[in-house]
Amino acid sequence: MIFQKYSSFLLALIVFAVLFAIGMVSPSMWQPIALIMFYIAMGQAFNIFMGMTGYVNFGYVAFLAIGSYGMALGVSRFYQTGIGLWLLFVGFALAIVMAAILSLLVGGIALRLRGAYFAIATIGVNEGLKYLIEGGKFWGGSEGIIISKPMRATFGRHLANSLSTFWADVFLFIIALLAAYLTFRFMHSRVGYALTAVREDEDAAKVMGVNATKYKLIAFIVSSCVAGLIGATTWCLKSTYVFPEDVFEISYTVEAIVIVMLGGSGTLLGPIIGGLIYGICKYWLAVLLPGLQLLILAPLIILIIVAFPGGIVGVIRERIRGTVLDQVIV
Amino acid sequence: MLSGNLLNGIILGAVYGLMTMGLSLIFGVLKVVNVGHGAFIMLGAYVAYWMFTLFGLAPILSVPIGLILGMALGFLFFYLVMKRLLDAPELSTLLATFAIGIFLEEIAKVVWGPDFRGYSWDVGTLHLPIATIPMAKIYALLSSIAIAIALYLWFKKTRAGTALRCLVEDKEGARVCGINVTGFYALSFALGLGFTVLSGVLLTLFIPVGISPYMGGIYTLKAFVIAVLGGLASPWGAFFGGFIFGLVENGSYSLLGLIPNVEPFSLTQFVAFMVLLVILLVKPEGLLGEK
Amino acid sequence: MSLLKLQGVTKRFGGLVAVDHVDLVVEEGELLGIVGPNGSGKTTLYNLISGVYMCDEGKIFFEDQDITGLPPYERAHIGIGRSFQIPRPFGAATVRENVAIGAMFGRMIGKVGEKKALDMADHYLSLLGLYDKRHKISNSLTPVEKKLMEIARALAMKPKLLLMDEAMAGMNPKDIDGMVALIKKIGQQEKIAIVSMVEHVMRALVNFAERVMVMHQGKKLIDAPTQEALNDPKVIEVYLGRLTLEEQNA
Repeated sequence: MIFQKYSSFLLALIVFAVLFAIGMVSPSMWQPIALIMFYIAMGQAFNIFMGMTGYVNFGYVAFLAIGSYGMALGVSRFYQTGIGLWLLFVGFALAIVMAAILSLLVGGIALRLRGAYFAIATIGVNEGLKYLIEGGKFWGGSEGIIISKPMRATFGRHLANSLSTFWADVFLFIIALLAAYLTFRFMHSRVGYALTAVREDEDAAKVMGVNATKYKLIAFIVSSCVAGLIGATTWCLKSTYVFPEDVFEISYTVEAIVIVMLGGSGTLLGPIIGGLIYGICKYWLAVLLPGLQLLILAPLIILIIVAFPGGIVGVIRERIRGTVLDQVIV
Repeated sequence: MLSGNLLNGIILGAVYGLMTMGLSLIFGVLKVVNVGHGAFIMLGAYVAYWMFTLFGLAPILSVPIGLILGMALGFLFFYLVMKRLLDAPELSTLLATFAIGIFLEEIAKVVWGPDFRGYSWDVGTLHLPIATIPMAKIYALLSSIAIAIALYLWFKKTRAGTALRCLVEDKEGARVCGINVTGFYALSFALGLGFTVLSGVLLTLFIPVGISPYMGGIYTLKAFVIAVLGGLASPWGAFFGGFIFGLVENGSYSLLGLIPNVEPFSLTQFVAFMVLLVILLVKPEGLLGEK
Repeated sequence: MSLLKLQGVTKRFGGLVAVDHVDLVVEEGELLGIVGPNGSGKTTLYNLISGVYMCDEGKIFFEDQDITGLPPYERAHIGIGRSFQIPRPFGAATVRENVAIGAMFGRMIGKVGEKKALDMADHYLSLLGLYDKRHKISNSLTPVEKKLMEIARALAMKPKLLLMDEAMAGMNPKDIDGMVALIKKIGQQEKIAIVSMVEHVMRALVNFAERVMVMHQGKKLIDAPTQEALNDPKVIEVYLGRLTLEEQNA
């Protein structure tokens, strides 16, 4: 009985462990593994909101972006205080706080709205924030923030280098684990049940006692904060700079949508499978057909929507319905 | 000069309004939000560019070409994709239109390259006391108004238009009356996209060097603001909303230009987004819309 | 202290007055029927009580507390439960999960976690004969099974007041009698006041309700003990003689 409940979470852990092991054993595989983990983590964070509520946050990438700004600001503004490695803690903390504030502001308005209006409200978040930063000329304006110098100054050349090339990715593994854990906890708690009700029939859910807006907001904030953490480590720490034209790139939202839908939204393993497949394909495609990823992805999304709305996990579920395996994959 | 700027805003607003009418039409009839809106504007812009650069065709004359292209794509995408999603959850159609938009942008990038292009159609200028306006823009203004009126008359006077209005009121009732619901859905989608593409043609008269595959994104945001302003399901509200938006946009650009150490163009887009959020917060059905 | 008190409750839609200054009192544990032809305002009244609509005029009191402005989910928390005429299952979820949602967010909100909710779900599902189907996806149930699930879900909310909406439509007479007896029993055991709304299935009403309110064109026509109400000449006229015919066939 207990195994059933935790089985999908354990499977997720196994996948992460295997990937980590491969990366450690074979250093040349580390970069592709890191890329795959990025997509897995990004998909998981996206799924916490979209999978559970059925609403699409079209401004998703803005939260990755603001998280990376959080890290950039933390490092570049505080590195002279001499707190050493705690600087990273400050960076991550700022990432979470800023993502939380942004999601509270956006969610507070957008989540009172239904489907289409919500999409419209969120689609502008991305562009809006980018133009605010560029237009208001703060946080580096359109020139962005570079943290390689402050990092070298605080940590010394060697540590700064390994932070960017190794530890940033390790943090990513930890964040992915966190995301999986949060998804699991949500699904088996009141939050998950509330959001299932909201997703299926929001008005009936309210009559049954579900405060729809509150639970949507919880999922939205958590999803955004995890996204912020991902941005902080993969975009800022790893590349040591943040440019608005890069980080507000809408293609990441598209990729997140593909990953979640490919794997199956609303499930624990869906985004992991989706991220795995997508990461592998993208790495392969980038070598073969650079610059054409979106061109192939876009019709793929349409195909999935029309033919496989439940994603891969959905297809598998159909096949194994009624058998013992049915209880395992959630 | 502020007043000259505002006048420009009204003229541009007509084209903004026209571009949003397509969006509102599709939402009003099919309850679908065309999130890929900007890509179709981009197509219209390229049509105008190529027709002018290759054949010397005046942009105004490219308008019907844009309409036909948009309608053809509309019918194609409807029967290929949208029709299968009519009963699917809202999320599906949102993602589908999103994906279609991305797809078009990527094809444009591959076929035409990512660089910015432009052209200039000089047919003289109009000298007014408050401003000097290129005649090209005046033609755009007149065309927009003419097209909007034409659509209005089509809705009111023709059998097809009336059938469409019945369809919006009561789908089942319309079906019972023998109206081919699916066919009209296709027509509405096609018309909506057609209007969007043709507005892209007219838009090029205002942005001489800004044509590129990804130019559409910013117009998607503007279109949504205008649509929400005028009532998401009302093409007429959208048209008038366009004027208001044009005024506000140019007005805020002038105002923001007075603040030191900011970049007014980007900030204006941010203001547009804030306006959107505020309207959604206060009256989601749009300033002119009904619940 | 009455459980539910409606004073002059009114709801308009444009020019149409759907519910017209209705007064109503429901006591703890009472079994009340609401009857009326199509369009008489019954469903709107339900929607006003459960909070789906807000009153244009009038007040609603629950256990002497003014709940007129309370949102629907808070009404669930104070003990108002509801089943819908056309069942509204949370389609992709299992039957068990559906009922568990009622348990989690009803009157017991905050006190019921996943495990307890699922246990409560099992309990009510077996009362209603759906225990064997509890792992099925709720969308795959038959219409009658969906109705039973609706009731189980509403009961799992542990309401003090249960609003049942045409719950017996589509069932055959033997099942109706069984259902009525079961609901009465559960109502007595758990001290739930049950309001059953009925349009044509009079059989469900006659053996169930102690008191009946008849509605017509948004107004309360009569509010009296069952037999008295159903035999009232005004009521018979409103139903065009359908009532006496039904009673003869019962």
